[in-house]
Order: sequence, then structure tokens, then C-alpha cells
Amino acid sequence: MIEVSNLRKEYGGFVAVEDSTFSVARGEVFGVVGPNGAGKTTTLKTLAGLIEPTAGTATVAGLPAGDPETAAILGFLPEESPLYEEMTATAYLEFFADLYDVPRAVARERIAETLDRLDLEHRERRIGNMSKGMKRKVAIARALVNDPEVLIFDEPASGLDPLTTNYIVEFTRELSEAGKTVVFSAHNLFHVESICDRVIIMADGNIVARGSLEEIREAHGGTTYHVYATVETAVGVAVRENGHVRHTVSDMDAVDDVRRRVETEGGRVVDIQTHTPSLEEIFLDVARREEAR
Amino acid sequence: MRLRRIGRIARWEVTKGAGTLDRKTVFALVVLALLVGVVGVSAFDDGGGLEDGIYVVGVDAESAEGDPYRQVVAASPEFRLEETTITAFRLGESDADVFVGGPRLLESDGSTKGDAAYAAFRDAIERYNYESMLAEPDEAAAFPVTVSVQYQERAPASADGSGSGDASSGGFDGSGAEGGAGSGGAPDGASSGSGEGGGLGIPDVGGGLGERIEAGTPSALSPPFPFGPLILAFLFVVPMNFVIQAYGSTILDERIKRRGELLLVSPASRYEIVAGKTLPYLLGLVAIVVVLAVALEGGVLSVLGALPIALVFLAATFVGAMLARSFKELTFVTVAISVFMTTYTFVPAIFTEVTAIALISPLTIVVMDLQGESVTLGQYLFSTGPFYLVAAVLFLLGIGLYREEDMFAQKAIPAKVVDALVSRLHGYRSVPLLSILFVPFVFVGQLLAVALLFPAPEALALPLLLVFAAAIEELAKSIHVYAGIARSRFDASLRTALVLGVLSGGGFFVGEKLTHAVQFVGLPDLPAGQVVFGQALTSDPLLVLALFLVPLVVHATTATISAIGASYGRTQYAAAFVLATLLHAGYNLGVILLVV
Repeated sequence: MIEVSNLRKEYGGFVAVEDSTFSVARGEVFGVVGPNGAGKTTTLKTLAGLIEPTAGTATVAGLPAGDPETAAILGFLPEESPLYEEMTATAYLEFFADLYDVPRAVARERIAETLDRLDLEHRERRIGNMSKGMKRKVAIARALVNDPEVLIFDEPASGLDPLTTNYIVEFTRELSEAGKTVVFSAHNLFHVESICDRVIIMADGNIVARGSLEEIREAHGGTTYHVYATVETAVGVAVRENGHVRHTVSDMDAVDDVRRRVETEGGRVVDIQTHTPSLEEIFLDVARREEAR
Repeated sequence: MRLRRIGRIARWEVTKGAGTLDRKTVFALVVLALLVGVVGVSAFDDGGGLEDGIYVVGVDAESAEGDPYRQVVAASPEFRLEETTITAFRLGESDADVFVGGPRLLESDGSTKGDAAYAAFRDAIERYNYESMLAEPDEAAAFPVTVSVQYQERAPASADGSGSGDASSGGFDGSGAEGGAGSGGAPDGASSGSGEGGGLGIPDVGGGLGERIEAGTPSALSPPFPFGPLILAFLFVVPMNFVIQAYGSTILDERIKRRGELLLVSPASRYEIVAGKTLPYLLGLVAIVVVLAVALEGGVLSVLGALPIALVFLAATFVGAMLARSFKELTFVTVAISVFMTTYTFVPAIFTEVTAIALISPLTIVVMDLQGESVTLGQYLFSTGPFYLVAAVLFLLGIGLYREEDMFAQKAIPAKVVDALVSRLHGYRSVPLLSILFVPFVFVGQLLAVALLFPAPEALALPLLLVFAAAIEELAKSIHVYAGIARSRFDASLRTALVLGVLSGGGFFVGEKLTHAVQFVGLPDLPAGQVVFGQALTSDPLLVLALFLVPLVVHATTATISAIGASYGRTQYAAAFVLATLLHAGYNLGVILLVV
């Protein structure tokens, strides 16, 4: 559905995105994560047709990003919600429906349905008088006003309370289940982990990790085993923790090796745990490595 | 572009904030507008009546009803009559500020107001006498001396500062009031126009074209200065200064609050967005202009003369709002546009009856229309064509900036200008095209220079014009080439610079030929015009062809010099630009020397 090939974007002498290549399948929820200034927003805005790449290509449904036909099948939610605060939510959404050539009757029905799903009340209230969460819901409804095939959500829950955040994450999951292709960027990696099928991790304009969460974990060490013992051995990485020594090893053979050595040295194994790294841990690990470079 | 979508954006632009006004505010605004309109029209029509009855004139109670002083009081609204006696007046038992009685008695009560009333009453007597003479059936008896006055076109100042006029060269005849709409000038030279037909009259100080016979005193003579129509034409420009404030704000608002981002991701193109956002303001201005034209008894020509001014106002404001980084900067930009545009349109129009240079301003077309003069198609195109083209190019450049990277980023203004130019560069073919598109700017700039410098001594004006004319042309030929190289649209090789220079120079040569429109109005007859626009040197066809092609060689050469400089960097471009300008100015000087 989305093909990005050798994408590069420069601002003056600054390279925001460097030779980025990835693809997103139809119906997939695709996560783009990375620290501030990694090039996430530039990548998403390029897909939305807002930014012209310096080099490389970005296509959506086979059409170049930025093409009017692409815009018609795309819903973009920027990180900030710059709404027309003097308008009511309904008038605002109807205006954008008009821009997307949605027939008036269809638009009204769709707007009402979307706002119902988003549980947005006070639809005739001026947007300027709404809370931040309500405004975000209006912004999401605007991104859906043309019933797009592809949704690009840049930090959809940025600055919102946990309740609204969970609501929006769940709503995104519903959209995915309804067959929409979603490209999703968030600082809260727990949300990315919970709804994304595949992820790219960006740092300094480069993609430093990619794939499904399992693949990324595999590439960054995968599942590890923590062997807690009363004495330290030379196997694995040993760290003192809560009065015991934690040995981190990568497979069961190593676990056996630790156990034997502990017994040899007169100690005993207190506990053995498997550990699956979260996306956040991988992200922090990657970020540290990139910073060290 | 889809008209339906443009219309939808235009409707939204008008209505999006409409709901924020409550009924009371709307009512108050309507009442205020009506009040301003009524007071304005009333003040224009009769001076507002603020001085009506301000002075009390004491007249002897025993004087006859036909006493001419009573007539003077009756004819002058600033006076109120009180019947009294000289004794009562002198004892302060009367409200009168002055007392008149008998043929020689006109006396102030000694107060400041009384002295003012005394002076005003003397003027009123003179005015009354003059009007009585005008009403005299035997004109020869009233004005026994006849003076023929012939106005001559002003000759430009020569090098020694002396000017000369040639009566046979088509000077303007006629003096004093124009026939038709108004009556003759008053003795003090002030306007006393009283229109016909119930509309607002066009005061008629100054003469129109053609010969007229007018009765009056020497002090009533005035040069052919279309004061009244000029002031009325100025009314067409006034609302534009206000409308651009709102227009500039709405454009900048989209940028500052990043609201335009969501419009940009919609299927609406940036052309449609800008057209939709601009349309309400343009239509609003057109509506105001139409209402003014009807109220001032102007015709379609007044509207057609004001339209290109409105377009340039909006286009310049649009570009300004795209370049400004804050509302503070926007205020500076809009004020600069107001001052420049008002000056550019108003000052030349002052010379409507004097010189063809006046036609560089479309406001002159409005003045001519309000005076009832006819305008040829050539004059109209000459006057308005550059404005239409400048507006179109400004909008195109501004739309080039109507994109995420320029709208929402805090870029330096020169960088944005370069971006705007680069947005119009799509390969080599864009280079000559842009050179052609910049010709209207060159034309307007050179016309403005001619207008500003034509009263100056030739010894000063001609060298300045030589350099300025060359510089502005070199800028038009090279700035987009520099932008293209600076933004890597073209590689910075010598070969590419040569190609770009030749293409730009060639394009400019083609565009420059369009300036032959000036032949319609004879501007090159002026020495200053010759410097800028040149004139025929020979009738030999081969020589004519050679001379026709020489400018092509010059343009290509100088544009190439600038292009080569641009390929080495900004500083080198600046140096090459200066060199190209000097070469070009030298060529211009050679042409002038050949002519003279």
C-alpha cells in the first residue's frame, strides 16, 4: 500500500531523513518510533504529501505522495491539531468533507457516525471552547471525513490524559480491524507495541531497526534468561541485585552452565526468569548505541 | 483548478468567523457603517454644515428687506441674521458678532469671534458680488476685459535647468472650470462645484481638454489640475488599504497557527486554496469600487481602472504575508504596500492633464473617466497591463511559497524569496519564461524611475536612469538563475552557466519587446523615456535588423556574466551583477549618444 524508496530529505545542509526505505502492506498498522529529531515527522509528512523529498520516492496505493488522488484516499493527523477554533465541530468537518468532494448527505451521516464512535458531545460548540481531548477527537474525525484507505497518525495521543489516550489507541485498533492501513507514530512505545504489526526505529534520520516486534527483539538479543544465584560466576553478564547476583544469559545451555558453576563454588541458584525486552528497552538500547556512535 | 472547490473555500473564508459576531455587534456595525456613510456623503456634499449659523450678523432693524447685506447673510449658511441697532450692538445688548448698516459700516464687536466674523463676512460679500456678476446677462458689462489663456505641456527641465514650452506641440487649452458638471471657480480659487443630476458633484478646479470661454476674475484662473476627480479617484484606493489588512491577517493566520497544513493535505491544490481565500477580498473590493463608481457618477471604466490596482494590492499583500514571520512584520509589510501603492497610483494621476507619464497609474484612467474623457484601448492596456501582469507574477511567486516547508518554517526572507523563485523553475525552459514574466516588474520600475526623475535636470536624471534601468534589467535576468544554482536545480558548472545566461538573456529580449506598448502613448518622446525605452535610429532595413539584434547580444552577454558569477557563490554573483550592470549601462549610454 505504501512504498518508500531511498527517501532523503535535506533542509539546507541538515539531513532530516537519510536514504530511508520501507513498505507498508494494506491493512497493516505500521509504527514509526524514534527520539525527537529522528526524522519520524518528516517521513510521515512526506507520505502525506506535505513535504517534497530531496531524493527518493514515496508512493501510496501506487500514486506519488502529494498527488491530489493520493490526498483523496489519505487521512492525516498531525502531531498538533491546528483547528479553526471559531467554527463549530460540525461546520468544520462539513467544510473538509466538501473539500474531499464527499456528497453532503453522506458527509453528514459519516460525521455523525464518527463523532458517535469517538463519543464526542457538544458538536455545535465552537472548537475554541472545547477541551484538548475533544479537540483531538475533532481532529481525528477530520482525518476520517473522506473515509480514507490510509491513515497517517503522528503522535495521535500527544499531551492527552491516559483515559483519552487509551480511547484513541483503541479507536486506532478498531480502524485497523476495519481494514484501514495505519501508519502510527508515538512517543509512548507501549501503545506502539500494543497495536502495531511492524515497526521501524529511526535515529538521526536513519532506520536503525525494522520488522515485527519479534524480529526486532530477535535482532536485539531476543529473549534472555536471568539466573539469580548466591555467588557470582564467570558466565554471562553478572550484576548484583537485591542481595543476589543476576546472571543474564542468552540460552538454556548457558543457564545450565551457570547452575553447574554456582554449585561448584558452593552456592545455590535462587531463581531463574525469562526476560522478553519491551520495545522501549530496545529503543533505549538503540538510542544509546546511536548516541555512542 | 475546480471552481466549485474555490467557491467552497471562498464561502468558508467569509463564514468561518461569522458566527463569532452576535446580533448586537452586527447591528452596531451596520449602524456605524450607515452613520459613516451618511456623514461622509453629507460632509462631502455641503461641507458637513458644522459652521452653519456660527456667526451672528446684526443688521439695522429699519433696513429694507431688499438690503444687499441681508442677501449676503441669506446666501451664506455660516451667518445668522439678527435685527438690532448700532447702539444696542455697541452696548453689548445684542448677540451679534458683527454689525452692518449702510454702505460703509461693518463693525466687529471686538472679540476674537467678532474679528473672525468680520473677515468671513467680507469674504462673503466678495463672493456674493462675484456671483451677482456671473448672473449678469450682459457678460461684457460685468467682465469688460477678455484674456486668452493657453496652457502648454510642461517641457522637461534641461541640463541648465531651464525649461521651454512649445505652443505648437500640443499644449492644453482652456482655463478655469470645465464645462458640464460644475460651475465656475470661486474668486478665492476654491471649488464651488455643484453637480448635476442629484449625484455627488465633481468639483471643477482646473481645466479639461479643449477650449472654453469662461467669465471670471484673474484670481479664478487655475492650472489644469484635476483636483476634484483626483480626490474622488483617491476614494477608490482608500478601501484597498483597509481590506489588505484583513487579507494579510488571514493568510498569516494560516501560517502562524499552522492551520493551513490541513488544507494542504486535502485534495485542494494550493492554487485553489489561494484563489478561494483571495476571492472574497477581491469581490469585496470590486463591490466597493462599483458602489463608489455609481455614487461618483463614474462609469465601467472607473471600475476597470481600479480593478488592477486592487489586484496588485492583494497580490503584494499575499507575497508579503507569505514572507512575514510575525504579525509585527506583516504590519510593516502592509503599511509599506499602502504607502508605495498609494504613491505610485496617486502621484502620477496628478499629472493627468499634463503628461503621458500620468498613464503609468491606472488611477489616471479613473480620473479621466470621472472627468468624462474617453480612453483608448491602447491607453487602457498601457496603464493597466503592467498591473495585471505584476499581480499575476506576484501571486505565482507567493503560491510557490504556499507549501509546508515555507509556510511554517522560520526562514530568512531572502531564503524564502529564493524558494519562491525556485518553485517556478522546472528545467531550462523555465529560465527564459521567468525572464519574460519579470519584464512587467522591470517596466513598472523603469516607469516609476522615469516619473520620479523627469522633473530633475537631465544632467542628473539621465545618468541615474542609465544605471537604474540597467540594474533592474540585470536583476530580472539573473535572480532566478542564481536561485536555481543556489538550490541545486542547476549544476554550478561553467557550461551550465553559459546556457542559463543565454536562455535568460534571450527570454528577456523577447519580453522586452512587449514594452513597445509604450509607443501607444508616446512616452519615448521624452528624453527620460528615450534612455529607458530607446527610439528608432535609422530606416535602413539591414541596420534596423542589426540594431534589433544588438540588444539580444547585450542581454545574453550580461546575463551570462551574472550566471557565471552565480555558479561560484553569492558574493561572486553580487560582483558579477555589478559588472553586468555597468556593461549594460555603458551600452545604454552608447545608444543615447547615437540618438543625440
